[in-house]
This record gives sequence, C-alpha cells and structure tokens, in this order.
Amino acid sequence: MSVKHSLLALLYENPGHGYELKTGFERLVQGMWPLNAGQVYSTLDRLERDKLVESPGYDEKDRKLYVITELGKRELWDWLKQPVARSLLKDEFYFKYLCADLVDYEEKQNMIQKQKETMIKDILALTQLKKQMNESQQYSMKMLIEGALLHLEADIKWLDMILQD
Amino acid sequence: MIETIGVKREFRTGKDTVSVLKGVNLFVNKGEFVAIIGPSGSGKSTLLQLLGGLDVPTEGSIILNGSTMEAKTEKQRTIFRRRNIGFVFQNYQLLPTLTVHENIVFPLHADGKKVSEYDVQKLLKAVDLKGRDKWYPHELSGGQQQRVAIARALINQPDILLADEPTGNLDRRRSSDILDLLSKFHSERKQTIIMVTHDMFAAGYADRVVLFKDGVIETEVRREEDDYAAFLSRFMA
Ligand SMILES: Nc1ncnc2c1ncn2[C@@H]1O[C@H](COP(=O)(O)OP(=O)(O)OP(=O)(O)O)[C@@H](O)[C@H]1O
Ligand SMILES: [Mg+2]
Repeated sequence: MSVKHSLLALLYENPGHGYELKTGFERLVQGMWPLNAGQVYSTLDRLERDKLVESPGYDEKDRKLYVITELGKRELWDWLKQPVARSLLKDEFYFKYLCADLVDYEEKQNMIQKQKETMIKDILALTQLKKQMNESQQYSMKMLIEGALLHLEADIKWLDMILQD
Repeated sequence: MIETIGVKREFRTGKDTVSVLKGVNLFVNKGEFVAIIGPSGSGKSTLLQLLGGLDVPTEGSIILNGSTMEAKTEKQRTIFRRRNIGFVFQNYQLLPTLTVHENIVFPLHADGKKVSEYDVQKLLKAVDLKGRDKWYPHELSGGQQQRVAIARALINQPDILLADEPTGNLDRRRSSDILDLLSKFHSERKQTIIMVTHDMFAAGYADRVVLFKDGVIETEVRREEDDYAAFLSRFMA
C-alpha cells in the first residue's frame, strides 16, 4: 500500500517522528493527498509491529522517533521492484457505462457528454498545476501530471468513440 | 493590445472574388493568451497574417500597440513586425540557404541588433535542438523545423507572439515542452499570445478560446466562465 511504503522511503535516509513523516508525505504529493495524523500513527504502529521500522527512543521534545530496519529496507526494495498491472475495471465510469445498459438509461449520451466535460475540466486544472510545478522545478510531479494528461487524452478519445454509437 | 475592427479580406482568383474574412472584430488585451480554433479553411491563418502585418485587410482596421497597420507602408510594417512580433508560420518558412543558427538570429540581424550567443544557446536547448546550429532546414524533420521556427519567433523577445499551429507537427512530449516554454514567456514577460490550434491540450493553456467559422468569429469563451469546458467539449475533438 502506498502510504506504508512512502513512510518507509521517507525514513530511508534519516530517522523521523510522526509529524515529520506526515509533512514529508504531503510534500511528496504536493498537498494533493492530505493525511490525518491518526492515519500516520496507525501505519507506523503496524510497521513497527511487522518489524519494518523500530524506535530508538524519543527526541528532546518527547516525540517518538522511528528508523527503518533491514527488513523494512528489503520490503521497500521489493515493492519498488514489482511492476503494477492496470485493472480494466478500476474506473468507476466503466461501471456506469455497463450499468446504464442494464437499466436502459435514457440519459446515457448525456452522461457520456458530462463525463467528457469533467475530463476537460481536469485537463485545464492539471495544465495549471503543471505550470506551477514547472515554476517550482518539481520534475517528478510534473512528469506525473504529463502522465495523467496522456491518460485523459486517451479517455476523451474513448468517450468520443462511445458517444458516436 | 491588439484590435481588429470590421476586418475583411477578399482574394481575387481569375474572375472570381473570394471573401475569406467577412468582418472580424477581435480585441486582445496586453498579456492575454488567446487560442483560435475553427474548421480548416475558415480563415484563421489569413487573420494571423493580417495581425502580423504580413498582409493588409481589404476593408477594416488593425491596430497593434496603438499603431494602425494598414496605414503603414510595407517597409514600415516589416520594421514594426521585427521589433514587436514573433511569428510562427503554419508551414515554418525557414530560409533554406541558412543554417539553423542563422535562421534563428535572422530577425536580430535584419534589425541590426546584437546577437547574444547565450540567448541563442538557451533557446536552442529550450526547443531541444542543442548541437544542431550548423544544420540546414532540409536536413531536419518537420517537427525539428517547427521548433527552429519557434526559436526564431522568440529570439527578439517580442511583445506579441502569433503562432499558427505551433505544435501541429510535434509528438505529445515535445508539444508539451513547447507549450510550457510559450507559457513561461507569457507569464514572465507578460507576452501577448495568439495561437491557432486544433489541439485541446494546447487550448488548455489559453485564457480565452475564440471559435472561428466561415470568416467570422462565431463565439468565444473565457477560462473563468462556467461553460468553458462544455465549449471545448463541443468544438474540439
Ligand atoms: N492568397 C490567397 N488567394 C486565394 N485564396 C486564399 C489565399 N489565402 C487564403 N485563401 C483562401 O482562404 C480560405 C481560408 O484559408 P486559411 O489558410 O486562412 O484557413 P485556415 O482556417 O487557416 O485553415 P487550416 O486550418 O486548414 O490551416 C481558404 O479557402 C483559402 O483557399
Ligand atoms: Mg491555417
């Protein structure tokens, strides 16, 4: 799971405490995926239970510190090494498209049209975000956005295809 | 600031007169980024040529930064263009007997300005043509020529950039790099950009999209308007 492995990666170079990891994670995703503190602490508890991290003690402000273990590093490498398959049905819209036929949904064309508009809004928003990433020289995040834009391009082509039949 | 007032353009072919622009009224503020879209043959390139002072209207008026273009002589228009406008042609129009480097610095030379080698190299890098300085246009692919044309249009740091499908021949990666470059010029230098495009992703960079149809502006919509996405969805494939 991505939060777990991101925390391992954030701990890879230096020990850290929960709050540091929360802000580190949010920086990693440019604030686009807010984590609550509870999520961070429960993930750290699980990592500690599984011996992927351990605690050398507390810092001067009495915050519990964590370091990655050898087992944790191995887990991180294994995770990086595994390719990720794309599942056909991961997109909720695909289900709407299938289910619209089941119920003979009269607004199907309109539903597709609205979906296309939503994707165009996403393109516009991502294009703006890409500008910001360019200005702040966040290369990896910029490339993620390029990837998302390419997906959107394909999605729109597909929507145009099903709009026609 | 760019303004066209009732601009018409007719062409004579043999005995026939074809009316290509039929009364175009367009107002573009300084620092705006406008995308022009519309069917093939609707007059987009013709309008851009007029805006760039490469041609004059049969009727109507074109005012750029306060100067009326049709009131100038051809020579005055050329000088005005060199100093204020960068133009990317749909078919690139590189000079075949000049190298990449010579093509890029041509607008500066023609205007008797000094060439900063640093600026040239920076632009060559930005359009991903580093090391191609000495190549000739016929030795380059269509996409590479297009990128030389873009570098040439930007070398004199123009107030106004007129670009006719500047990403038409580029793959998505390069097209994205070029649009990022234009957008950087636009925001850092408050450059006014008018770009003709068929590409939704290119239009995504604009503040406003103008739909051209049969020689007139049919409609236009601004980014901040609610129906911007619906508009793009309807008119762009
Ligand atoms: N010099 C000319 N003489 C005669 N007709 C011309 C001339 N220039 C343009 N036209 C005509 O004007 C019309 C519009 O051409 P223009 O190049 O402006 O279209 P466009 O909107 O840029 O199309 P595209 O998207 O294919 O580039 C065309 O029908 C073309 O034949
Ligand atoms: Mg054209």
